[in-house]
Amino acid sequence: MHQIQLIRSATFLWALAVAAAFGLFVVALFAFVYFKLDDYLVARSDRMITRQIHFMADLPPARRVNAIADHLAQDSRGVQYAGLFDAAGVRLAGNIERVPRGLQLDGAVQGVRLDLFEKPVLHVPVVRAVGTRLEGGDVVVMGRNVDETREISSVVGEALALGLLPAFSLCLLAGAWLSLRAQRRVEEVNQRVQRIVAGELRERLPEGDTDDSFARLAGIVNGMLDEMETMISALASVGNDIAHDLRTPLTRVRLALERGRTHAATLEELQEVTDNAIAGIDQSLAIVTALLRLTEIENNRRTAGFGDVALDEILREVLDVYEPIAEDKRIGLGVVVERNVRVWGDRDLLFEAVANLVDNAIKFTPSGGRVELALEAEDDTALVSVSDTGPGISEQEREAVLRRFYRSDRMRNTPGVGLGLSLVAAIVKLHGFRLIIGPAPGGRVEILAWTRGAAKSATRRVADGAACRRQPDGMSQMKRDAFANGQPDLSVGVTNAD
Amino acid sequence: MNRILLIEDDAETAEAIVAELADRGFEVQWAGDGVDGLNRARASSPDAMIVDRMLPGMDGLSVIETLRKDQVRTPVLVLSALGAVDDRVRGLRMGGDDYLTKPFALVELVARIEALLRRPTDCRETILHVGPLELDLIERTARRGGRELDLLPREFRLLEYMMRRNDQLLTRAMLLEEVWNYKFVPATTNLIDVHMGRLRHKVDGPGEVQLIHNVRGSGFVLRSRQ
Repeated sequence: MHQIQLIRSATFLWALAVAAAFGLFVVALFAFVYFKLDDYLVARSDRMITRQIHFMADLPPARRVNAIADHLAQDSRGVQYAGLFDAAGVRLAGNIERVPRGLQLDGAVQGVRLDLFEKPVLHVPVVRAVGTRLEGGDVVVMGRNVDETREISSVVGEALALGLLPAFSLCLLAGAWLSLRAQRRVEEVNQRVQRIVAGELRERLPEGDTDDSFARLAGIVNGMLDEMETMISALASVGNDIAHDLRTPLTRVRLALERGRTHAATLEELQEVTDNAIAGIDQSLAIVTALLRLTEIENNRRTAGFGDVALDEILREVLDVYEPIAEDKRIGLGVVVERNVRVWGDRDLLFEAVANLVDNAIKFTPSGGRVELALEAEDDTALVSVSDTGPGISEQEREAVLRRFYRSDRMRNTPGVGLGLSLVAAIVKLHGFRLIIGPAPGGRVEILAWTRGAAKSATRRVADGAACRRQPDGMSQMKRDAFANGQPDLSVGVTNAD
Repeated sequence: MNRILLIEDDAETAEAIVAELADRGFEVQWAGDGVDGLNRARASSPDAMIVDRMLPGMDGLSVIETLRKDQVRTPVLVLSALGAVDDRVRGLRMGGDDYLTKPFALVELVARIEALLRRPTDCRETILHVGPLELDLIERTARRGGRELDLLPREFRLLEYMMRRNDQLLTRAMLLEEVWNYKFVPATTNLIDVHMGRLRHKVDGPGEVQLIHNVRGSGFVLRSRQ
């Protein structure tokens, strides 16, 4: 079964095809070499006998008989033939019995069968011969055996055939080895994939040390598995977070109802208990709603509402909403907004993100503090920053605040569900902007956006919604550049409720 | 007496809604599935309808769409567990007039039904009058009796919204959606209260009869009749 699989495997079939092609090529090469060699040797022998016959023809008649005898005597290999005949065709000298039939006596070389004076042992050889009639009517015939040409060619052929066999075998062996190797790798991948399917999410495909396409594919798949594992873990932790965070308000509701059922003596007391229970349920629902919203935004299904948005108008609207809130809490709310800053995005979502940041800043800033909302723009970037005189976000908490439901221990008792910054991060990521969290003391969160022009391409860039490290002096590079080049033209409107 | 048709497949939810609306003086008909609901809507011509989205037989949005094709203009409040923005938009596009996500407070449901039944005062008016209040929409001025009220633009919009729906309970969610155009629930829960507090401070001066009332746990109402 394994052998059949091997023979049927694509790699082996390819190797077989390559070996066959190689064999055909070698055979064709051999044929080419054979015919070229044959042509060359025959042509060479033709030139030789043509020179010899011219030499014989130019000799005086008296010397021809001796010249032919000498010529044949010097032929140690017995491949030369010569004959001198009178006009009647009677042999005068040489080793040819008679003038070959069919031989044109015009000095052109042709292949003929010779009648030899001494019969050969094996067979009558095929000979290239040339004949010419001399002055006085004599005929001279010169020939040369070309069998040795065939011998040389067959030797070359044998050599090639001997070389072909090991090469063909090598091809087949290489094919079999590659096929087996590929099969083993596929088998290993199959086993690991089955383990992954069975729930072992930590399992990865073998990448090996080589840099072949198989290893690259395994690398890509492993990257995908890493991402999936992260997402599944996040999902699992979200499930835990929901369960954990819903437990608290639901426990409160349960206790309130339990106590109310036992202790409430008057309608007012029962109503108070019910109000508390409803508040707890509302808190639970707020968590669920915020989570669903977060999922909706993170699923990137909201790009349909994208358009040209005036960021400065959004900031002014946020200010309009939160001014009374800040005043109510005796917090000074300052604003510095550059005009006509347009970005490509979803107006409602951007409003929600900025409102969330201002909301947080006001919530965490103690009474008597200040919150600053600013918008600066230069070249193709815009920077929305919300800073406050509250405790800020410490180095250790910077990543944590973006996690769902994270609530700083110091803020355990402030209202909210702990999803604000996660929502902001999701909205920022959807837009392809960047969220920058500044160092404590004092809160500072910035959204670095791409203004109109750069914005459309920004939505296609890889989003960076993660918290970024900031310069320790709390000032963004952009801002420092702005200060280095002189202050940008800002329209200032400060609202101070102190 | 206003007649309301409720199309809701969950019997317990329907029972609570029917009881609450009956207490408020509405006459309520209940249908448990889409097809029955559509037939009742065609047969009885109610003043308003409350339609759940997910119904057996025929889903809520198809019911509304069919009625709208039949030129039935009855105001419809869509109920749904699907609360994503896209779902809300779809619900309103298919012919719903308002959208309420489950779970909801009964007081919210009633307030929204009343808002649907009582169309706001004629929009072509340029000066609104409610009791001693007068709002000039052209001049953008507000007066209470002889006293000029110094309102910020947002407060002017809030007062206009309330005057057009005087004597009607306005929940915080309704105010957030309509006046502030919020598509989400802000983390600061007292956002509306703070704004309303400031408006009330300007409208109801010392010694004057209180016009803006806080309905505990529900919302606010501008009362013209004392």
